[in-house]
Amino acid sequence: MAEEIIELEEEEYTSQLTAPVLKRIMQLLKPHWKWVVGFLITIGLTSSLDAYFTYLNKQMVDQGIALGNKEVLLRLATIYGSFILLQSAMIFTFIYLAGVLGERVQYDLRKLLFNHLQDLSLSYYAQNAVGRLIARVTSDTGRVSDLVTWGIVDSTWAIMNIVTSLTFMTIINWKLAIIVSIILPVMIFVATKFQKYILVEFRQSRRANSKITGAYNENIQGVRVVKALGREDENLVEFQELTTKMYRASYRAAWLSALFLPTVQIIAAIALGAIVWYGGVQIQIGLITIGGIQAFVSYLTFMMWPVQDLARVYAEMQHSIASAERIFKLVDTPPDIHNKPDAIPAQTLMGKIEFDHVDFYYEDRKPVLTDFTLTVNPGEMIALVGPTGGGKSTIVNLLCRFYQPQKGTISINGRDYTDYTLESIHSKIGIVLQTPHLFSGTVRENIRYGNLSATDEQVEEAAKVAGAHDFIVTLEKGYEQNVGESGNQLSVGQKQLISLARAVLARLELFIMDEATSSVDTLTESLIQKGMEALMKGRTSFVIAHRLSTIRRANRILVIEDGKIAEQGTHAELLRQRGHYYRLYTQQFRHQLEVQYGVSNELTGDDRSTVTADSIMMRREKPNEESVAAD
Amino acid sequence: MSNTTPQSPTFDFRNALNENRLVGLWRMMTDFRVSYIAATLSLAVSALAKTSVYLLLRFFADDVLAKGTRFGTATQTFLWIGLGFILLAFVEGGFAFLSGRLAAYTAEGITRRLRDFLFDHIQRLSFSYHSQTPTGDLIERVTSDVDALRRFFSEQAIGVGRIVLLFFINWAAILYLNVKLGLMSVVVIPFMLWVSMWFFKKVTKAYEEYQAQEAVLSTTLQENLTGVRVVKAFARQDYEKNKFEKDNWLKFLKGKILLLMHSLFWPLSDIVLGAQMLFGYIFGAFMAINGEITLGDYIAYVGLVVWLIFPIRNLGRTIVQTSTGMVSYARLMDIVKQVREPLTDGRVQPEGPVRGEIEFQDVSFMYSDGKHDVIKNISFHIKPGQSIALLGSTGSGKTSMVNLLPRFHDYTGGHILIDGVELTDYPRKYLREQIGIVQQEPFLFSRSIRENILYGVGRSVTKEEIEAAARAAAIHDVILSFPDGYNTIVGEKGVTLSGGQKQRVTIARTILKNPRILILDDSTSAIDTETEAEIRAALNGLMENRTTFIIAHRIQSVMKADLILVLDKGEMIQKGDHESLLKQFGGMYRKIYDIQTRIDEELEVEIARAN
Repeated sequence: MAEEIIELEEEEYTSQLTAPVLKRIMQLLKPHWKWVVGFLITIGLTSSLDAYFTYLNKQMVDQGIALGNKEVLLRLATIYGSFILLQSAMIFTFIYLAGVLGERVQYDLRKLLFNHLQDLSLSYYAQNAVGRLIARVTSDTGRVSDLVTWGIVDSTWAIMNIVTSLTFMTIINWKLAIIVSIILPVMIFVATKFQKYILVEFRQSRRANSKITGAYNENIQGVRVVKALGREDENLVEFQELTTKMYRASYRAAWLSALFLPTVQIIAAIALGAIVWYGGVQIQIGLITIGGIQAFVSYLTFMMWPVQDLARVYAEMQHSIASAERIFKLVDTPPDIHNKPDAIPAQTLMGKIEFDHVDFYYEDRKPVLTDFTLTVNPGEMIALVGPTGGGKSTIVNLLCRFYQPQKGTISINGRDYTDYTLESIHSKIGIVLQTPHLFSGTVRENIRYGNLSATDEQVEEAAKVAGAHDFIVTLEKGYEQNVGESGNQLSVGQKQLISLARAVLARLELFIMDEATSSVDTLTESLIQKGMEALMKGRTSFVIAHRLSTIRRANRILVIEDGKIAEQGTHAELLRQRGHYYRLYTQQFRHQLEVQYGVSNELTGDDRSTVTADSIMMRREKPNEESVAAD
Repeated sequence: MSNTTPQSPTFDFRNALNENRLVGLWRMMTDFRVSYIAATLSLAVSALAKTSVYLLLRFFADDVLAKGTRFGTATQTFLWIGLGFILLAFVEGGFAFLSGRLAAYTAEGITRRLRDFLFDHIQRLSFSYHSQTPTGDLIERVTSDVDALRRFFSEQAIGVGRIVLLFFINWAAILYLNVKLGLMSVVVIPFMLWVSMWFFKKVTKAYEEYQAQEAVLSTTLQENLTGVRVVKAFARQDYEKNKFEKDNWLKFLKGKILLLMHSLFWPLSDIVLGAQMLFGYIFGAFMAINGEITLGDYIAYVGLVVWLIFPIRNLGRTIVQTSTGMVSYARLMDIVKQVREPLTDGRVQPEGPVRGEIEFQDVSFMYSDGKHDVIKNISFHIKPGQSIALLGSTGSGKTSMVNLLPRFHDYTGGHILIDGVELTDYPRKYLREQIGIVQQEPFLFSRSIRENILYGVGRSVTKEEIEAAARAAAIHDVILSFPDGYNTIVGEKGVTLSGGQKQRVTIARTILKNPRILILDDSTSAIDTETEAEIRAALNGLMENRTTFIIAHRIQSVMKADLILVLDKGEMIQKGDHESLLKQFGGMYRKIYDIQTRIDEELEVEIARAN
């Protein structure tokens, strides 16, 4: 659904500079040129044979039947029969070659895109909604591969068919062939116009359709509100406006399509009428035979197919080119963050970490951090607290080098961290996200993601350390249990434990955790706490903290507000100050105890925001730190 | 034609429920049958005209050329024949267009009213149905399955008719030319039909597998893109590339299989059909040479037989595709057969608003799965304008209890009386007009803030009234701070409101609705501390002169209520006002009160320790 809307948005956009794009599209075929030559020859032959069969029919009438010559007839029939066999072989070849090549081009493009996406920086993902990227890899590649295979097949067939038909017509009678070649451009022109109108209406109806889907979605999601407010009747009236729009557009598209072929046919028939009239006259003087007239009738009757094909390919080509442009644009985007040419691998992250007068902003250029300075000693546990949007997640993003500061430096062990390779930094940092992300597959596979060469024993050991083992063995298939798409067969707490185990297995030196605010039952909660403690032992760690126990355990608490450290110190020091931390803490304390004593529910809070139809369909990650980092 | 003016004929699709799917589909066509039949008849006329082209060619060859039949001079005769061809093309094209247009009218018309019906039907299904049915599943049915039915009516139903008509009309024409020739032209047809149906069934299956692999690939892609931080954090780019490569390659292989099937079927069937055709040509040609048929007969035959033989493969395809339509019919009828919640049925049809006196007498409720009572034996009585608070932990039945009032669910035991009348005697629509609910998790629609405030108010409201309501809900200034003010769209396309702001928009909505009975379902829990006071004030204003139910978990929120019920596991364990409940030592209310006092004390200790 999401993809469809994105496609609709993007269809609007077509660049005028099609030639360079077209050239680049054709270059995709270069490695497979033998296949292209193969299907071009076979489709060309197939098409020519189609025209030749009509000519053979004429010969059978004129040379065979009219003269009563059975021998000639049988000879012609033998030729006919062998050409049918030959053509079948050609058809087999071009369907197979073009089809498989289409799949291959799509495969190549998808691989190219996917691999490039892996190398792009997080900032790219913050600016481009996942739905859009998916559309790029799925539907755009499909359109391009269709163009370079079936598009070429159809147009080659059409052109060859028209050319050979005209040739045979010229052989039969050149004067009549001229009539056909005059009317042919008219047919093609009309057909192309039609296709364009049909496409416009078709797009209208698709747009209406996505609105209808949106309306269904919202009304079902919000059905409780609808019922409580008794708004059923108005909703139906509003919905009927949408279905009426849809009806108009798709009805128009359908009847325009129904008008299309008959119109082209009638134009052909006018030529046919002229030919019969003029040809009749010529028969009289022996310039054309009855078989010749018959051949002209056939040629003209079937002329509408190549014409239709040409018009369709032409109309669709613009969309395919737009798709190709989007693909190339993605492929041409260099990653924002990459290794310096002389970057060296970082040996260890267990050293002093310093933020030195760091300025940072996201794409919207609103300053998030200004002149931010912080020094962290090896083994220290830092808790980051403060309001949403204050900059906590940004600090973490910079630390992981998902982004780099625009001004100032971040250094590890006294050396600017951009001197190190990205991989060497990433492979030593463990991150546990607020909403843990798992992949489809088994529990074991998900834990092993932390260290691909780990043995089964090591995986289980890590699960034990993280406190995940006990619940895993209660699963029906234990470690071999499938976690479902994005792990949705498990609860949030269980996913959290598995992602902890995954981090344990990775044996890291710097640990970053974005604590979950969402409700987890008390038992799981304490397991997660224990797992975290095990993980942080002897390591430098940063925690975006929500739980009091975590906050209290930290060596240092930073209250981050408006991109600055508003307060910092230990728990006791900060409480004494009676400032921001004091207020935050008392509020949190009261709430947590209420939950503990069972007199309050977990706060659902603002993060569980209202679901409206379009937020479901186009969940776009905004380039603000909240969604980028808190994911 | 009047088709261009939109009209949405209403049709109750429940009448189309039938064991036999074809009968059901036929019933769905009510009001459109005439146009459907007309579409089919137009097709027949069009096919007849096409056939006549070849018969005219035969006349031209046999009568005009061979026998020398003339209308006027030779040139004039040829002109007439030429015009004849053009006329036939107009008839053929005109009726083909008419048929297409009528078919579109039928298919699009049926689809439109099906969409309208489903939309309305779904919003009138019960609460229990909605809580049991995942949204995604419903959406899937009302979009994909509706579209499959549209294709059934626009392509398959007409398509089968088209090919069958084309076949029989052309066959009849050939039989008319020569019976022997006619009979031997169709020898392979039944075989070919069978083969093509067999093939398309196979290919559909292979295609499904191909699509399934495409879905696997999409999932891998989606998980990778949404989990990009995990991938980067563990520096697993190469691993991910390999994983995608594996899925991508497998899809390529499945595509190859599919293409191999196609690349074998089409040419092989071409050979069979070509052999049949060629055989007919030779047979016909010998007959012509032997004088059994004329040259014109032969020429006509060559033209006609093409329309007999080659469409058969597509008939096989279309027949196989109709099964998709049948499956979709069944999936949609699953929704259609659900029973609607009657909105206006009720023994009493009151004129004015209720006063708001409410009495519960031993009320119990269990869901239709009937496992256990969600609430049991609740009794109390409150006068109009009084407030009643429900206190209890999650799962104690507070929300279920208030959901009985607007008849979202009907109680299964005891009596509820509003103004002395049994609740189930009131029409649901009337009750819902009388009751305003401020829900815990506010839901806004993706339209403007103004429209959201007006949503469901159901009367014309002036701009001043809207703004007054927004002011009373302490949201007016916030709205004005948005670039488009009241016209600002909520949601993705516009501004994202915080939970507290959304809550206040729904409060403004409730103020405008002006209900006699008010339900505040934990309405302050989603709100940040700064605005809590403002909202509390807004709610206090709202509660004046209305019978109010307050669901809460803090003593502070309930202590002012005229009556407090403490619920636990669906049972009412305490009842009274704040003062009297406090005196019941050992009671749950006192316990909660003590806990909250203790929390305050613990906090003080904690802070003292820091000092």
